[in-house]
Amino acid sequence: MKEKKMTVSKGGKLSAGKKREGNVFFSEDPRDFGYAKENIPCQDACPAHTNIPGYIRSIYEKHYGRAYEMNRMVNILPGVLGRICSRPCELSCRHGESDLGTSVNICHLKRSCADLKPSWHMIKEEFYAPSGKTVGIIGAGPAGLAAAHELAILGHNVTLYEAMDKPGGMLMYGIPAFRLPRDILNLEINNILRMGIDLKTGVNVGRDITLTELIDVHDAVLSTVGCQEPFNLDLPGEDLDGVYSGLDFVIRVNQGERIPVGKKVAVIGGGYTAIDCARLAIRLGAEEVSVNLRKTETFMRIDEHEKHEAKTEKIKINGLVAPFQINGTDGKVTSITFERTRLEFTKDGKGRNAVSIPDSAFAAPVDTVILAVGQTPDTGFTGGKIELNGKRIKTKAGSYETGIKRFYAAGDCVTGATNVITAIAEGRHAAHEIDAVFVGKKRITETIRTETASQTDRSRNDDFIKASVMPTLEVTKRLYALTGEVEQGYDDKIAGEESKRCYLCNLRYFIDTSQCIYCSACIDVAPRDCIKITRAVEIKKDGAYGELLSATDWSEGLAIVIDNKRCIRCGKCYEVCPMHCIHIEKVELIEQKLEA
Amino acid sequence: MPKFDHYIIIGNGPAGNSAAEVLRMHDDQARVSIISDEGFPYYYRHMLCEFISGKKKEDALKVKPASDYKEKNIRMRLGQRVERIEPETKTLYLKHMEKVKFTRLILATGASPHVVPSLSRFEKHFSFMSKYSDALKVKPLLSPARKVAILGGDLVSLKFAKMLSAMKKEVTFFLYKDCFYPFELTADMASAIEKHFSGKKIKTFADIFPSRIESKGKAFEIETENGENLTVDIIFCFMGMRPNINFIQGSGIDTERGVLVDEHLKTNVSDIYACGDCAQIYNPELKNYWISVGWENAGIQGETAALNLLGESKVIKPSQKKILDVEGLKVNTSWWKEL
Repeated sequence: MKEKKMTVSKGGKLSAGKKREGNVFFSEDPRDFGYAKENIPCQDACPAHTNIPGYIRSIYEKHYGRAYEMNRMVNILPGVLGRICSRPCELSCRHGESDLGTSVNICHLKRSCADLKPSWHMIKEEFYAPSGKTVGIIGAGPAGLAAAHELAILGHNVTLYEAMDKPGGMLMYGIPAFRLPRDILNLEINNILRMGIDLKTGVNVGRDITLTELIDVHDAVLSTVGCQEPFNLDLPGEDLDGVYSGLDFVIRVNQGERIPVGKKVAVIGGGYTAIDCARLAIRLGAEEVSVNLRKTETFMRIDEHEKHEAKTEKIKINGLVAPFQINGTDGKVTSITFERTRLEFTKDGKGRNAVSIPDSAFAAPVDTVILAVGQTPDTGFTGGKIELNGKRIKTKAGSYETGIKRFYAAGDCVTGATNVITAIAEGRHAAHEIDAVFVGKKRITETIRTETASQTDRSRNDDFIKASVMPTLEVTKRLYALTGEVEQGYDDKIAGEESKRCYLCNLRYFIDTSQCIYCSACIDVAPRDCIKITRAVEIKKDGAYGELLSATDWSEGLAIVIDNKRCIRCGKCYEVCPMHCIHIEKVELIEQKLEA
Repeated sequence: MPKFDHYIIIGNGPAGNSAAEVLRMHDDQARVSIISDEGFPYYYRHMLCEFISGKKKEDALKVKPASDYKEKNIRMRLGQRVERIEPETKTLYLKHMEKVKFTRLILATGASPHVVPSLSRFEKHFSFMSKYSDALKVKPLLSPARKVAILGGDLVSLKFAKMLSAMKKEVTFFLYKDCFYPFELTADMASAIEKHFSGKKIKTFADIFPSRIESKGKAFEIETENGENLTVDIIFCFMGMRPNINFIQGSGIDTERGVLVDEHLKTNVSDIYACGDCAQIYNPELKNYWISVGWENAGIQGETAALNLLGESKVIKPSQKKILDVEGLKVNTSWWKEL
């Protein structure tokens, strides 16, 4: 391991890759990127790199419009994602570390800025001059919409080709309205489309127009068709009446069909679609609904809030069962046979597999079976002319370009089914690549912005505020209709209280070692082992700083250093330092737009 | 085995104590420690109701004196919460930031009161009766209380409701049939309970539940689904128990409802065992995982886990069926609950 000996710094000189604008520094130094990655865990975990501490602080200051726009910089659907995001940020939130309580409800706060901003809120867009280039995008789902928005602000003419009657893709058709009200979705889609994007709905590429024709009429074509083809379990009895594929079930109900589900419904699968199917089945009149998993709840690919709401609606989650066959009489489902499973280590010893237990089969009487075990892309529109990676479209390494010139692909059709925020990030990145090809340079790049900051008014008491529960519709009221939104959103007061919980990990506390007298007062007041007497710092392969290497003896210690990965920004060290040699900076990973 | 072995048991109930005694009996060299987040010594949980009613004194709750642990050289660490287990380094991380190393570990963390998800938002208003600390909290509140609501139930809730009625309290009972514990409540049993309660002037809601609960000064206002409003002085919640396994998540130890163990009470991670109410045990005859409840089962499992930890290969078997009396109805139960 490479190490750097700690040295006493006096500051002043800027290293290569940094530039200064007044009190603000912009840096592309790998050490600064490394710092942001390690120390602002929520932003790093967000596939779109949303400035989470930044917008939470704006919510605290009651600047809801500003918070909304901070989201919109990298995620053009904050009101939507504030309702249905899979929240990778919350899994990484420092407040959720084992000795610190529970994560901040980041997603609920995102929603609150969309809900609480005033009706006269100003949408901010920065447009580049028109380029005269045209881009055709196949699929108006989240990746397609994000790419369309980005290409439009970069000055290109965009045409969105959508096979369904309305834009939105899985958001419009694959998510129930009780989780995502359509007025919110339509509002945010319209904010994208009104930038001059030409939307053509009901156009099935491959049937109504070929891919070759599209490539001929556009300077570039981007596929964001997503994953629409259900996985097949090939169970005996899958063709019986009363057996549905999960996505097909949700789409049909979202289109207004009231599918008769009977009294007992078994859903197979552990993702968002499976839970959506179960919750729709309850609303369609089912009395007993179960979600059945080969492994256990721990391995479900959904967040805890969704599990909680499903259980609130009395949906049972059965772990350690695998569907074996579906049984029926006169062509109609009557029961499903499961085998019990147990968990075993995978061959590499890192993961867990569910293995069927021999002779453990049992039948459960059901009226409906919904198979919601995931989807793959339907690449039929390419006419078989494209290289695939399994069932997914293959792109060049580190690029969104496919084997066909000027034809790009991004989102779930490349990566397989992921989540909405990943699709949005991928759509944007593909747009940036297409733009760089048109213009000959990257016009949108990530950079680290550092600004001198002062101690905030966060109090240590704020660290002990319990996470605010999302107000929800009473169970008896929510089951009458298919569309009544279950989560009611935070009001101003709750949002303010929840926003106080954020540690503001974008603040960096550091000790000016040239003034430090090694009194160790800061160490005495530190609430956890976040200030260390250090002998060296690890240097990672990419040049970023790694772990601080603590001295085991006073004679080895070269500096007292605040470990910002452990720091909860309580400010106690700042307050107690007799030499006032602890300073604060605001460090943010932002996107910078190239100006002429 | 080397003399520096450190066997740790997390949990100070019947499973944990039985395991500790067996470990000491068969290995007089190793260090044996019990770590418990409760501050009170090993006690009879079922006597808590009598304790708060004043029929039993604090000393009567204690199963054995502290000197017993001293004599057996079992270290008791009370009021210390294990926050995280790191099986790779065999380290326990305690809430007060201490790291404790173990050579072998027995999880006997028991179970905590369950609140149905639809009521979880009102949980801050509820009082529980599952731990000594609950009883201490409830005792001073109960004597001035005139009106009491019980959301439940389980077997303890029935006993508790009768006790309150005998104490001349005005009791309202919301009966959650699907939360009955340790078995599902049949329609016959539910109506027997209703009938029995009406004889004792306990107002029972069997199909109508609270839709809103708010605190009003020192009292609580309950609005039912049919719009009825009640004001009570204290609300008790008895909706069965759920294994205490939250701190295990992410450690690599498999859990479902409880800690998944085989018939030898071994988890998927070597040198870690689980027993008592927190364990979900594979039964080769049933080809299914089951969870057991009850003092006696916990003790047997603690003993089995300890013997297997020491190298034996004992298989845990369900205890014999018992007949319980639920308000006059005889119920056969093996004390093994299918999940």
